[in-house]
Amino acid sequence: MKVVVPRELAAGETRVAATPRTVKRMDRAGLAVHVESGAGAASGITDKEFSESGATIVEDRAALLSGSEIVLAVKPPDAATLEQIPSGAVLVATLDPLIEHELVKQLAGHGVSAFSLDMVPRIARAQSMDVLSSMSTLSGYQAVLLASMALPGIMPYLTTAAGTLHPSKVLVLGAGVAGLQAIATARRLGALVWGYDIRPAVKEQVESLGAEFLELIDMSADAEDAGGYAREQSQDQAARQQQAMTAHLAQMDAVITTALIPGRPAPILLTAEMVSAMKPGSVIVDLAAERGGNCELTRPGGSFTSDSGVTILGPLDLPCSVPAHASLMYANNVANFLLYVCRDGRIDVESDDEVVVGTLVTSGGRVVHDRIREVLGQTES
Amino acid sequence: MNLLAELVPMSTEWLYLAAAALFIIGIRDLSSAETARRGNLLAATGMLLAIVGTMQHGLIVKWEWIAVGMIVGGLIGLLMAVFMPMTAMPERISIVNGLGGAASGLVGICEVIRHVNPLGLGSTAPGFSAFHVGVAGLEIMLGALTFTGSMIAFAKLRGLITSKPMTYPGQNIVNITWFVVMLGLICGLVTGDLGPGFFFLLAGMALLFGVMFVLPIGGADMPVVIAMLNAYSGLAAAATGFVLSNKVLIIAGALDGSSGLLLSLLMCRAMNRSLPNVLFGAVGGATGSVAGGGELQGEPQSISTVEAAERLFDARRVIIVPGYGMAAAGAHFAVREVADLLKERGASVKYAIHPVAGRMPGHMNVLLADANVPYDDLVEMDEINPEFSDTDVVLVMGANDICNPAARTAEGSPIYGMPILDVDHASQVIVIKRSMSPGFAGIPNELFVASNCAMLFGDGKQVAEQLVETLSL
Repeated sequence: MKVVVPRELAAGETRVAATPRTVKRMDRAGLAVHVESGAGAASGITDKEFSESGATIVEDRAALLSGSEIVLAVKPPDAATLEQIPSGAVLVATLDPLIEHELVKQLAGHGVSAFSLDMVPRIARAQSMDVLSSMSTLSGYQAVLLASMALPGIMPYLTTAAGTLHPSKVLVLGAGVAGLQAIATARRLGALVWGYDIRPAVKEQVESLGAEFLELIDMSADAEDAGGYAREQSQDQAARQQQAMTAHLAQMDAVITTALIPGRPAPILLTAEMVSAMKPGSVIVDLAAERGGNCELTRPGGSFTSDSGVTILGPLDLPCSVPAHASLMYANNVANFLLYVCRDGRIDVESDDEVVVGTLVTSGGRVVHDRIREVLGQTES
Repeated sequence: MNLLAELVPMSTEWLYLAAAALFIIGIRDLSSAETARRGNLLAATGMLLAIVGTMQHGLIVKWEWIAVGMIVGGLIGLLMAVFMPMTAMPERISIVNGLGGAASGLVGICEVIRHVNPLGLGSTAPGFSAFHVGVAGLEIMLGALTFTGSMIAFAKLRGLITSKPMTYPGQNIVNITWFVVMLGLICGLVTGDLGPGFFFLLAGMALLFGVMFVLPIGGADMPVVIAMLNAYSGLAAAATGFVLSNKVLIIAGALDGSSGLLLSLLMCRAMNRSLPNVLFGAVGGATGSVAGGGELQGEPQSISTVEAAERLFDARRVIIVPGYGMAAAGAHFAVREVADLLKERGASVKYAIHPVAGRMPGHMNVLLADANVPYDDLVEMDEINPEFSDTDVVLVMGANDICNPAARTAEGSPIYGMPILDVDHASQVIVIKRSMSPGFAGIPNELFVASNCAMLFGDGKQVAEQLVETLSL
């Protein structure tokens, strides 16, 4: 089968959906891999490295995409690219289908069988395909580095002849993959770290990294859904949470927010009022900026300092800032997925395997994923 | 002369007082590893004083019987101490406990024969008050059931009887009814409604009860049962003390009873199960030693920290498998120390890091780095899997699903298809865990009942620190 890896065209996108290692794996599995010239440049992978591992380098994008049977991508293809992908081809990418309704309809209309890796079910054997985990790990780590560079001081405790430097206090809101990695990284830098999450089950995980779990009143046991993701809270719960949090915020040097709810806008954890209670010189890194942000004041994609002296960072696509490892992990997720669903040289889109069913968004000209059909309001087949 | 006659029984009281004090201090000292030896010696000294005090009480009838008893008993004790290995400690305790119960029971029977004269041999002592009848009844019941119960426990531990729980439907009801009937007998004897011959019926029922009560409990739970039987024999001794109006017996019995009960409760908490679940849980299908869906074919073998240290001592190649449990326990520093000690002895020690060990990517890396474990010692799964078959001991620190063989073969299992660490290929596996409770996937782990696997139950940090202590000796 012809597997195609085009260059990512989205602004600021530095990742590529394959690496020389994964090309070798796919090659051994009998797949013919074609990579667009320069696709790996931003990740530090040269055309030569790709071709040495068995890929065919193609200069002309149109030639690359024509006749493609499987297209591997990071971000979804833009309209022009989609036109060049043959109908009936398989697309493996990160589509954000619960939010990107237009894209889903376009993909369906074009007859593409689209798999979205951010929909991989949270089961043991699919962990190696989970792009959300991989990318969140990198985001969590980077968030702390961003915070440390934005702080007017250093993170660890130093007692010196020139005075004592007290450790920075870091609060991580949301203890999922990104949050836990942020906690671990802040600890490695020597800060005092607190973690908070509305799911009480997470307390032990936070403590297992040496951080303290922030006990606010009103820990709801119902806060976790079947996949372990957080549920949206009621307005009342949210208000009470904010009140209790403000007292703690006043002591923090850095607050890193990572709270996301699948398919919904990010919950507001820090109101403008709460931000004004924070110390001048303190920093907020809002990892939910792409979904509107956990902080009311966040400017997605930018950073600024509030009137009260709080620096608020709303980075987008943090994994792109570490493209070598981001591509390594993403490409592995893609290859693990592809080699799992591709048996005997073909992909069975009719399969009732949990992984296939969970990730297949469109096929045969229509939207096939139950949850997405619900969201789109398509109730009959 | 008069003064001496008064002083003689008085000195017994002093000796009893000293003995009681030594028992209490001795038990207190047993709670920490440093003072435990001293505690043992103190309690043994207390026992010596109690025996001396008893012997000079002045009511001794015949010295010959005492001498014979002391020599025979002392010899048996000596032989057991010398020849039964430490690994057979639970069996030793069962025997000793059982015999203690038997002693109380027999004393009870003797007192009944002496005071109540059921066999019409001619009363040799004033009749019993209702109170004495009651405590004598309790003494006989507790003593007898402790004796047979302990003997069954011994047989299960030794493998003379199957260590699987032996159950039948309605068993708990039968047992409870039996017990209630025995209590009823005691009440009847106290009120005088039942003739003294019923003491013997009570003894017989109690002997049977000991068997019935212990049979449905699985071999892995024997330590809890032994602690409970210990408590019962303590109560029997206390009851004996009331019958004989002997203060030191009452005190020692009460100490024994309460410490036995507390120990059982602590053990149950460590296993994450309630005491009623351990004692009665096997009836009705729930195999007592597995919590969570599915059943394990077989019983897990449980070892002590000392035994684990012995196995590590002799190992040339060791692989440590860290898991979320190690993180939650904060045991990573102690684990590194264990590894260092083993390396000093010339063993090769590596850490096998499974890609999804812990609750976040790199969880184990962060902690082991914190503990200063050199990066070179960490090996990823694909690289280390072929090495397990050459490994002497694998130390699984709070990991579960990532080494569960079910992932290879059990098609319906939630972890099916997930690559695992081939821990079961090693010569020996030691799993350090708080209890048999399942891991993140919520399923039982077949590794735990494999013949080459032993469980070391306890808190990860404490166990690791104890291993460090033992390995440094």
